[in-house]
Amino acid sequence: MNLNQLTLAQAKEGLAQKKFSSSELVSACLDQIKKTEPQLNSFVTVFEKEALDQAKNADLSKPLGGIPLAVKDNFLTQGQRTTASSKVLDQYLAHYDATTIERLKSAGAIIIGKTNMDAWAHGSSTETSDYGSTKNPWNINHLPGGSSGGSAAAIAADQAIISVGSETAGSIRQPASWCGVVGFKPSYGRVSRYGVIAMKSSTDSPGPICKTVDDAATLLEIMSGADHHDATSISEASWVRPVKLASLQGLKIGLPLSYFPPQIQPEVKSSILAAVETLKKLGAEIIELPDVLDPKYSIAVYTILQRSEVSSNLARFDGIRYGHDRSFFGQEAKRRIMLGTYSLSSGYYDAYYTKAQKVRTLICQDFDRQFQKVDAIIGPVSPSTALPIGASEGQAMFGEIQDMLVEPSSIAGLPGISIPCGFDQNNLPVGLQIITPQKREDLVYQIAKLFEDNTEYHLQRPKL
Amino acid sequence: MKITPIIGLEVHVELATKSKMFCGCDASHFHAEPNTHTCPVCLGLPGALPVPNKVACEWCIKLGLALGCSINQETFFERKNYFYPDLAKSYQITQLQKPFAINGKITINGHEIRINRAHMEEDTGKSVHVNDSTLLDFNRSGVPLVEIVSGPDIKSAEEAKEYLNKIQQIIRYIGVSDADIEKGSMRCEPTVNLCIDDQYYTPLAEIKNVASLTGVMNAINYEIKRQSEQFEIDHQEKNSTNKTTRGWNAEKSETFLQREKEGSADYRYFPEPDIPPIIFTPEQIEAIKATLPELPDDKINKYKSYGLSDYDANQLADDKSFSEIFDKIVTQNDPGYAKFVTNLLIGPLKTISIEIEKINPEYFKKLFDKKSELSSTAIKDIILESYQTNQDPIAIATQKNLFQVSDTGALEKIAQQVIDANPKAVADYQKNPLSIGFLLGQVMRASGGSANPQLAKEVLEKLLSI
Repeated sequence: MNLNQLTLAQAKEGLAQKKFSSSELVSACLDQIKKTEPQLNSFVTVFEKEALDQAKNADLSKPLGGIPLAVKDNFLTQGQRTTASSKVLDQYLAHYDATTIERLKSAGAIIIGKTNMDAWAHGSSTETSDYGSTKNPWNINHLPGGSSGGSAAAIAADQAIISVGSETAGSIRQPASWCGVVGFKPSYGRVSRYGVIAMKSSTDSPGPICKTVDDAATLLEIMSGADHHDATSISEASWVRPVKLASLQGLKIGLPLSYFPPQIQPEVKSSILAAVETLKKLGAEIIELPDVLDPKYSIAVYTILQRSEVSSNLARFDGIRYGHDRSFFGQEAKRRIMLGTYSLSSGYYDAYYTKAQKVRTLICQDFDRQFQKVDAIIGPVSPSTALPIGASEGQAMFGEIQDMLVEPSSIAGLPGISIPCGFDQNNLPVGLQIITPQKREDLVYQIAKLFEDNTEYHLQRPKL
Repeated sequence: MKITPIIGLEVHVELATKSKMFCGCDASHFHAEPNTHTCPVCLGLPGALPVPNKVACEWCIKLGLALGCSINQETFFERKNYFYPDLAKSYQITQLQKPFAINGKITINGHEIRINRAHMEEDTGKSVHVNDSTLLDFNRSGVPLVEIVSGPDIKSAEEAKEYLNKIQQIIRYIGVSDADIEKGSMRCEPTVNLCIDDQYYTPLAEIKNVASLTGVMNAINYEIKRQSEQFEIDHQEKNSTNKTTRGWNAEKSETFLQREKEGSADYRYFPEPDIPPIIFTPEQIEAIKATLPELPDDKINKYKSYGLSDYDANQLADDKSFSEIFDKIVTQNDPGYAKFVTNLLIGPLKTISIEIEKINPEYFKKLFDKKSELSSTAIKDIILESYQTNQDPIAIATQKNLFQVSDTGALEKIAQQVIDANPKAVADYQKNPLSIGFLLGQVMRASGGSANPQLAKEVLEKLLSI
């Protein structure tokens, strides 16, 4: 086994026992990047020299001391190129560190590179990246998902030990699902948004993408906690993982029937139903939820609100600063800016924006109602496994369809996780999502951890 | 043609908070080195987020209360989207649907002017034009601004000026801004149209870039004249699309067309997702109300109840620290004393800058009690010296021998000596009693100025009539 294949927990142990050095660990990841990047294209920028320099002085007493970290390219990293995979920011060097980056750096993490994504996080494939699509490590003819596709692929391909991504509606969980890794999307406000290039401000949620549930929990502990730079951050101290459960006895887990739409891939459905059996064996009471609001409404709500906020958030890239002018925006960004500008315009505002906000409230209320019956909700992350390269082309609503099962919980600001729960006949991974009420990351962790401890899907690695 | 001007004023006031509205940067920007009071937030850098300044919100509420407004307990910020090079984020964070304060009023000479709203927003950066280039200074970007919007209730340029004076006075009283128009910490944009013959309304014109109080008056007067002349030519009436924006050229003293069809501007407002709704409980609002000082109108009414004239009351209330000095000296309704103190404060003491800490109310009282024995000139000199040296005024008067001699016996003695020494003047008096002035002057001089002039005159007349 190569060092780059280690989990965070294993790497920390090895470093602590001086089995290897941080330099060796970083080198192993950089070697893997060199070897696999021509195929995968997970990174926009790799900081080889800086990473090796930092590894020499790594402080191993810190929780992430000497650990190679891959960062989605919409997190500002001071003095380093930060593009959000858009040519508009091709030469932009960030002026400051995002709060999350500051916290990960103080914890000793070494940033080895910035990962590819859909430009401005607009998409669920990474195909809208101005730097070319990332490929799925399980099959390079397939997409990694997105928008945090680069981070998910980097973890699946062992190019880094840990990574961070951001989710607005599926952008952590969907690529984690398609790449067979763990993506933990915290409650809105649990992790500061400061220094993450804004996409849809009202649901943007940074979070970890890692190899195991515990690795993701370790990152979330470091990333979370109130931030005086973010007025929407939850005013609580850092999240701390709870003790592991011996069983799921006494827990009611809901299975929304509407999360199994007609177009669902049969192997996805069978993998989820197998996961249901595992959870039952672990003691959970599975309750079918027949009346969960059809996720299709979330697609409409998300589309309107996301485009509206995008049109405003991207207006600052006006051609005066940041190097490149607006002609450098890709087709997807232009489409979203135009639709958002339209939906906010006077005469249309009430018909679109206001109505979408009202439906958003209904979606939140629907979750409240469901959580009176159950403690958590599970379902497939995506209706399918990773789709082939090119699947998003000409599909303006590609992301919304792929993310339809994670959009409702994103819109409601709920925490959730995607964990590996099976493979299709082409050996492409299937992800199980676990959703809980707001601020109940503890429960997400407990269920995911117990599931992972009792299954072996997460141990499978793609052959590269 | 009967012309009734209809004028509304938008007033922007920069709050004098330490830090900016949404970041920790120093909010002062006057004469600061360009782009030194900036950070990712006020530069609108990618990823930066606004965090509202609590003190600024409280001050906005305080200002709203001082303007007689009701306070919205739950408010939120909105984004106003438009492009301008000095607008860092390409949107301004402001309030449209739920301002902090609504429905207030102030009264100018008995005429009520409605305050529609007072809302919180952020200032923009500044474009500085040098030759063919434009430089951007973001020191002002994100400075807290309160926008006060009046109803269209103002009837003349003169009344607009009085309205602005009043707003400025209130702002300075509550201490939330220096409200200096020349420095730009208070800015006014009048909107003007006319009602002609009680039935036609001319198109609205909003006037920008007015940088002084005189400018506001001149611009309004110019606009009244221009619109009435225009109406005679084209008879055009206002509608929802013909509002214009006009600039003010102070040099030429005229307004000029900047933008037409203002009605169609679309700022695509929507709730600012980066800032949760702001909630102030009734208790918190009451607590803010409790910090309000006695306001100018209350002061004026109080002074009038002391028997002071309109003029005196306004003079005293004009400036808050000045009125506080008066209030320190005059603590109860005592008309004679109030007038006595007023005369000193807006007389001799107005000529020097006085500090409230150095004022000893007891000295004023002592002087007041002895005022019949002192000439008015002596009183002025004594109070000035007493203030400057912190000495008891009575001691000063005694030491300088300023008490008037009111002892008839002593005066008679002096008067007799003067009569004996000036036979020619006595003869003159016998011919013309009005020439007593010379003899009186001699008596005053002989007494070293301490004679009570009225009494001295009576004594002289008595002795001369014998």
